[in-house]
Amino acid sequence: MTRGTRYFLAGSAFVAILGLGTGLVAYYNGGLPGVSRGSEADLAFLPAGAAAVGFADVRAIMNSEFRQKLRQVLPTGEELNHFKTELGVDIEHDIDTVAAAYLGGPTPFSGAVVIVRGRFNDVNIETIATQHGAVAEQYKNVRVLTFTHPVAAASVADTPLQPGEQIVDADVKAHPVPAVAFLQPGVLALGESDAVKKAIDAGESGEDLRKNTELKSLIDEVRGTGNAWFVGRTDMLAQHSGMPQEVVDHLPAVSLFAASVHVNGGLSGALRAEARDSKSAEQLRDVIRGALAAGKLVSGDNPKMDAMLSSLQITGSGNSVGLTFAVPPELLDLLNGLAAAHHLNDAPVKK
Amino acid sequence: MAEPVRSSSTQAPPTQAPSFGYAVMRVFDLSIGEMLWSRRTVFMALVVGVPVLMAVILRLLQAAGASQISVNNVAVTGPVIFGVMLWMFFLRFSVPVLGVFYGTSLIADEVEDKTITYLFSRPIPRSAILIGKYLAYLACTICVVLPSVIIVWLLIVPLGGGSLGANFIDLLKDLGLLALGLAVYGALFALIGAGMKRPLLSGLIFVLGWEPLAGLLPGYLKRLSIAYYVQGLVPQAMPSNTPMSLLQGLFREVPSLTESLIWLAIILGLCLWFAARTVTRREYILEQ
Repeated sequence: MTRGTRYFLAGSAFVAILGLGTGLVAYYNGGLPGVSRGSEADLAFLPAGAAAVGFADVRAIMNSEFRQKLRQVLPTGEELNHFKTELGVDIEHDIDTVAAAYLGGPTPFSGAVVIVRGRFNDVNIETIATQHGAVAEQYKNVRVLTFTHPVAAASVADTPLQPGEQIVDADVKAHPVPAVAFLQPGVLALGESDAVKKAIDAGESGEDLRKNTELKSLIDEVRGTGNAWFVGRTDMLAQHSGMPQEVVDHLPAVSLFAASVHVNGGLSGALRAEARDSKSAEQLRDVIRGALAAGKLVSGDNPKMDAMLSSLQITGSGNSVGLTFAVPPELLDLLNGLAAAHHLNDAPVKK
Repeated sequence: MAEPVRSSSTQAPPTQAPSFGYAVMRVFDLSIGEMLWSRRTVFMALVVGVPVLMAVILRLLQAAGASQISVNNVAVTGPVIFGVMLWMFFLRFSVPVLGVFYGTSLIADEVEDKTITYLFSRPIPRSAILIGKYLAYLACTICVVLPSVIIVWLLIVPLGGGSLGANFIDLLKDLGLLALGLAVYGALFALIGAGMKRPLLSGLIFVLGWEPLAGLLPGYLKRLSIAYYVQGLVPQAMPSNTPMSLLQGLFREVPSLTESLIWLAIILGLCLWFAARTVTRREYILEQ
């Protein structure tokens, strides 16, 4: 073998090893900085026993044309400014990604944790939180701010609680206690206190969502399809949702579901459900077909609505039922037009 | 006293013929350099270079702020584009065409250059020549095609929010599929090259004529093509998100993964065995 041949083979092997090594690192760490803002790193803080998980690439969504058009339709939102003033967090610019998990609990709102990745002023957040009654503590080397329950606080006394004060009341214990944890520089965990602590445990022990093979395989399938997605197990959600048993019994026989949305110029997405058997899947398809037919009947001759309804397509086979949809940019322009007309009608007329 | 002088007429003990494995490796060593630095490699570089070039252009367009590719208002993400490129450029074109060009030339080139006599005069089994050359073909094509696919993957998959990590397992499947495709097509055309007089023409007719035609014909005729079994592996190798189902929908009748793997293994084994048998038994007449 000549030297040139050896160099060629070595070069080829180098490219292959480099590429596969990059892929392997991305596989274990969840994307690479500057290449893809993956959701894998955020999954490391979500407990393995989650019933549902969601993710949103906030930065991509905020920068999208869709968002710019939506801003023309919807009010700018004083709440956003309030959030910025109070916590020093500009949702539009400071947050990169948001990942959330629902773990289930005694009430529908307990057991939720949100992992927020971005640029935060930790000192500012802690100062404001403690002014609102939060208590700072260390949990496994992570700083956690636990809030006393505002409803309970209001019922106990008119004056706000002082930092460090605890309310010990049987009724209060039933309510979820919000907390904030500073997991890493630029990574916050928000949510119910127990759920936040479980997120810290998951990050430390490695018993995170990536160990949940059922949800993880579904996540791997949907997360490449959009900049926001949501997956969950229907049985666990129904169990913890607090819904009456009669309602739970009549839920479609769906074991897993997933939704993904890609926000750019328009909005496109896909919904998917894994039915328990093929019969249930066929029934679900029939329901969707009926709804689409009814929608087309109601839309009449409206070409924009017709375009949107035509973009709805039923997919999947066997136990899998899917529906893809798209909201074209033109529809947003139409909404903009309607909003503008509405404002004109509301404007005071000078006589 | 004078030293006894060894007589020049004394014969060295006859050396033992090299083993089959050693012979295969010697032929491999000899052939891989010839294959890499031949004109065919320029053709191969062009074939696998086009997808890389397209991937670079797509990345540059994205960096310049071009809007995302969409089909029927549905955004097409990087993994889907990569899946389509893998199928169109590599599995349906590069792999069979490289198999034809290299596979048919394994023995035919030696016959055409009238150098087959030198190889056959060596004390090695004739079948070792074919197997050594076949392994050199595999190494040569794999070393060019797979890095090209990996580069395309790195460039394309992150488009539209695609994750490298989430698609890494799919890449491994794709690389395995490509290597298997190269091996099977190479074995088939090695047989054609060993047994037929105009192997390149026959190979091109098979790849560009018969295989596309068989795919369109109803009934069992499609089972007489390699593409039918290769496409049986594609759903396992491609991302299973929704837009990809559009592509998969084009191939409604596909064999199962197990069936595809079994048939591809049978074709590979039989073709190589028959090719080695043909080379061993056939008398090649060199045109003067």
